[in-house]
Amino acid sequence: MIPEVLNLHVLAPIGFVGIGSMVVLLLEVFLSRSDSFLGRKVDDRLVGSLLAGVSMFFLFLALAVACQAFAAGNAEVFNPQHPLVRLDAFSSLATALIAGGALLSCALAIYYLDALHINRGEYYALLLLATAGMMTMVAAVDFLAIFLGLELMSIPVYALAGFDRRRLRSNESAMKYFLIGSFASAVLLYGVALLYGATGSTSLLVLGAAFDPSNPLAMIGIALVLVGFGFKISAVPFHQWTPDVYEGAPSSVTAFMSVAVKTAAVAALLRVLGLGLGGEESVLVGVLWGLAVLTMVVGNLMAVIQDNVKRLLAYSSIGHAGYMLVGIVAGSIEGWSAVMFYLVAYLFMNLGAFGVVIVLANRGEDCERVDSFAGLARTRPGLAALMTLFLVALTGIPPTVGFFAKFSIFMAAVNAGFVGLAIIGVLMSAVSVYYYLRIPVLMYMREPSGEAPRLATSTGEVFVLALCAVAVLYLGVFPNGAELPVMDWARTSVGTLFQ
Amino acid sequence: MFEAHLLSIVTFLPLATGVVLLLGSLFVQWSGGGGLPQSVWRGVALASTTFTFLVSLLLFSGFDVSDPGYQFVEHAPWLPAWGIDYFVGIDGISLFLVLLTTFLMPVVLLASWNDVEDSVGSYVFFMLFLETGMLGAFVSLNLFQFYVFWEVMLIPMYFIIGIWGGPRRVYAAVKFFLFTMVGSLLMLVAMLVVYSLTWEQAGALGFNLVVPPGTDGPALLSTVIPVNDPTWWKNQDWLFAAFALAFAIKVPMVPLHTWLPDAHVEAPTAGSVVLAGVLLKMGTYGFLRFALPLFPDAAVTFTPVLLGLAVVGIVYGSLVAMVQPDVKKLVAYSSVAHLGFVMLGIFALNTTGLNGAVLQMVNHGLSTGALFLLVGMLYARRHTRLIEQFGGIAKPMPVFAAFFGLVTMSSIGLPGLNGFVGEFLILVGIYFASPLVAVIATSGVVLAAAYMLWMFRRIMFGPLENPENLGLLDLDWREKLVMVLMAVPIVGIGLYPDPLLRRIEPSVVELQRVVEARSVVAVADEASPETTDDSGEEAP
Repeated sequence: MIPEVLNLHVLAPIGFVGIGSMVVLLLEVFLSRSDSFLGRKVDDRLVGSLLAGVSMFFLFLALAVACQAFAAGNAEVFNPQHPLVRLDAFSSLATALIAGGALLSCALAIYYLDALHINRGEYYALLLLATAGMMTMVAAVDFLAIFLGLELMSIPVYALAGFDRRRLRSNESAMKYFLIGSFASAVLLYGVALLYGATGSTSLLVLGAAFDPSNPLAMIGIALVLVGFGFKISAVPFHQWTPDVYEGAPSSVTAFMSVAVKTAAVAALLRVLGLGLGGEESVLVGVLWGLAVLTMVVGNLMAVIQDNVKRLLAYSSIGHAGYMLVGIVAGSIEGWSAVMFYLVAYLFMNLGAFGVVIVLANRGEDCERVDSFAGLARTRPGLAALMTLFLVALTGIPPTVGFFAKFSIFMAAVNAGFVGLAIIGVLMSAVSVYYYLRIPVLMYMREPSGEAPRLATSTGEVFVLALCAVAVLYLGVFPNGAELPVMDWARTSVGTLFQ
Repeated sequence: MFEAHLLSIVTFLPLATGVVLLLGSLFVQWSGGGGLPQSVWRGVALASTTFTFLVSLLLFSGFDVSDPGYQFVEHAPWLPAWGIDYFVGIDGISLFLVLLTTFLMPVVLLASWNDVEDSVGSYVFFMLFLETGMLGAFVSLNLFQFYVFWEVMLIPMYFIIGIWGGPRRVYAAVKFFLFTMVGSLLMLVAMLVVYSLTWEQAGALGFNLVVPPGTDGPALLSTVIPVNDPTWWKNQDWLFAAFALAFAIKVPMVPLHTWLPDAHVEAPTAGSVVLAGVLLKMGTYGFLRFALPLFPDAAVTFTPVLLGLAVVGIVYGSLVAMVQPDVKKLVAYSSVAHLGFVMLGIFALNTTGLNGAVLQMVNHGLSTGALFLLVGMLYARRHTRLIEQFGGIAKPMPVFAAFFGLVTMSSIGLPGLNGFVGEFLILVGIYFASPLVAVIATSGVVLAAAYMLWMFRRIMFGPLENPENLGLLDLDWREKLVMVLMAVPIVGIGLYPDPLLRRIEPSVVELQRVVEARSVVAVADEASPETTDDSGEEAP
């Protein structure tokens, strides 16, 4: 018996992306069996561009639907009799961010995969599937749906991490990520089971009211859930996989992971803390405080000694997770909207930085060592300027969006009385100056060494880099402009968690 | 339109020129050329900065001497949700720092016409970017906006030192950046605490120093900042310490000065001039504009410490300057000593001292800037700055020697030149505050005469022994023009400082009034209605 009100349209973004992945898979089979397509000879390059185009089309549809849902401002639940997924302002903003991140990663991947000779259609199908998982995760209002989304996200990403299957590094990366990731999923699931035992429900909407902090079962449950999320957002001490996986995976996958996976995990964590445990967050503040401090300190200090750009960016992404945790600890609507704004900022700065790393990939291998940036300002001045811009943004120096992102986080922390946390945060930002600025130092103040980076830049890459640069600068001057009031959007979206 | 936005035009004209040049260069490159030629970059930048200076003269002529408050005020919402506004205005304290900046910029660009051969486009762009950053910081009346410009300045300066500097440029650039960043980030936290206090007390968000005309809203200067609140981080002492650290690094005060000699020695001439001439004043200006009026009681508490450090800076800077074999390093350490004098003037906390401090900020910018320019000219000819390599230079380069002599005298504080007026006022001011400090500081004047004159003698006089110095060419017309431009204000202020002091003094008196009115301790002691009249929120 099908209930009368099912609200299928709530699933539209997830559906579009899921259908997209099927279409991509079928199209690849179809294309690889024909000699020519629309009068052009079928080769890897054409297949890759076509599939990326199709994926981007479906992602764009999801993005458009999410934006429309955000503009409409309704909170609609799929299958109201047993709510699993809810499309409200919060989930639609997070969905839009994820779709945007995935879309830009697709555009970055086309030429790169071709250069690495791993241009296969499955890449885009897996990417779309993972994206569908993330969208499920951020829209979920039930732990079961969260877990479903988490797995749907994680398993394709494990495969993506090992996509360059002839390279040992890539295999190692996939293996590590898979082992640790599935362990984390299991821990999370165990926590959910304990919470269910303590409260009798897996629904976030019910859980919050039934949650009793004096019940040890419930406390262990919530601790295990936190550990599970800790792995996904790579909070210290659950971060060890991050540098290895980021380094080994193809750069386009790393870019996707660092942006979209992080957005999904942080948004889902906010959802869980906001809906499920809204009244009880005081129990967790101490734990989250410790996690935030550890994550900021370890992430930033470890980044200082890295010689590999991808490892450096991996540790920096750990550091950024720490800043986001500061906003989560602050707890107020202010702190959490700062986290959402941070995610927007992080999307553009980090994709931009990875975009440059991807553009620099030579035929067949990545441009990974920090030293390979030496003298880039002479050989590729435009690229060097863009990299500098993104690194300055990641450091958090005005007039870039990174400054406002950090500023709003620390402002929320101080206003909530967490001055110590803010002081540790700014000191770690000062440490980050050192490692981020090493790259501009090499680019501008050293002579080129070794082989020259490749000179061609594809249209997709130019598009992504230009978009990220414009966004970083525009939002750095007008973070809440009349046309793009991003800060207001963040506030609106978080508002739904506080009802 | 033009009148109402005078300050914004002065502030953003350089950056706008830089962006136009950049876009033009990209366009030329895109249409097949190799970017704009170097002469276009240099010429347009020189013309633009000269024009900026001429426009900024309108600020001087239009400045109302009888009004001690902020003038040429512009106000527009930027992030209204957070009380962050675009709010600019100048008073007698910032007026001359703005003029100093706009004046030094074209002079420096002219002086470095042939210095920089490599990627001239980026160099010119960074210089223009830097000018906007510095001007923006001087005219900001919104603390947040000030912070933004304060940080923005770092990036161009970092690249100017790091790309066009000497052999250890990378080390110097990174050190400069890290030192400044650590201080300013702690200031950011203190800023946020003040902001949350404002919010608690006024019920509205605001970063404006004073209430912008025609609006209502909270102002930081009406926020009561407690002196012994049970929450430690809400107290003036801590907040002042965080602000003071940021500013003291920039001044720089001993023992936070170690970045300065490195940065100065490695920076190209233009970088050194701007660094010494303007950037160091950001620190002292920050004390005057923000740290003093916001935390008056803590400022009084910290005065002995700051005075002590300033005196140590004067004596230590002078002594270290004396033994430097490198002229540029000598001038760099002399900056430490001179800025120590400025700090003495500020923390004398009386009108005479403050007047002298503001004037001396301008004077130091002129005389030390000119010294760096002269050292740069010498370096361009001989590619060394070691004093022992020279001797008897006055014979082949008489014009150079004349200018060098004039600037040396100005730096020492010879009566009739600019340095004398400022130093004299500071010493009088500090004598009223603390005779002991004044006595020790006066020894700094003697030491300054010693190291400057000794250096001058070793370079200029004596036998012309080094064969490489025999064929040295005297200044060409461009260098002469640069030095004449620098000499005009040096002599002018020395002979007739009144136009400056007349504008500085009312603002200094106003600053003192605000400081006294905001002093929580004083209110508790006297409980007189007069001292509380302008800050209605203050409660004992």
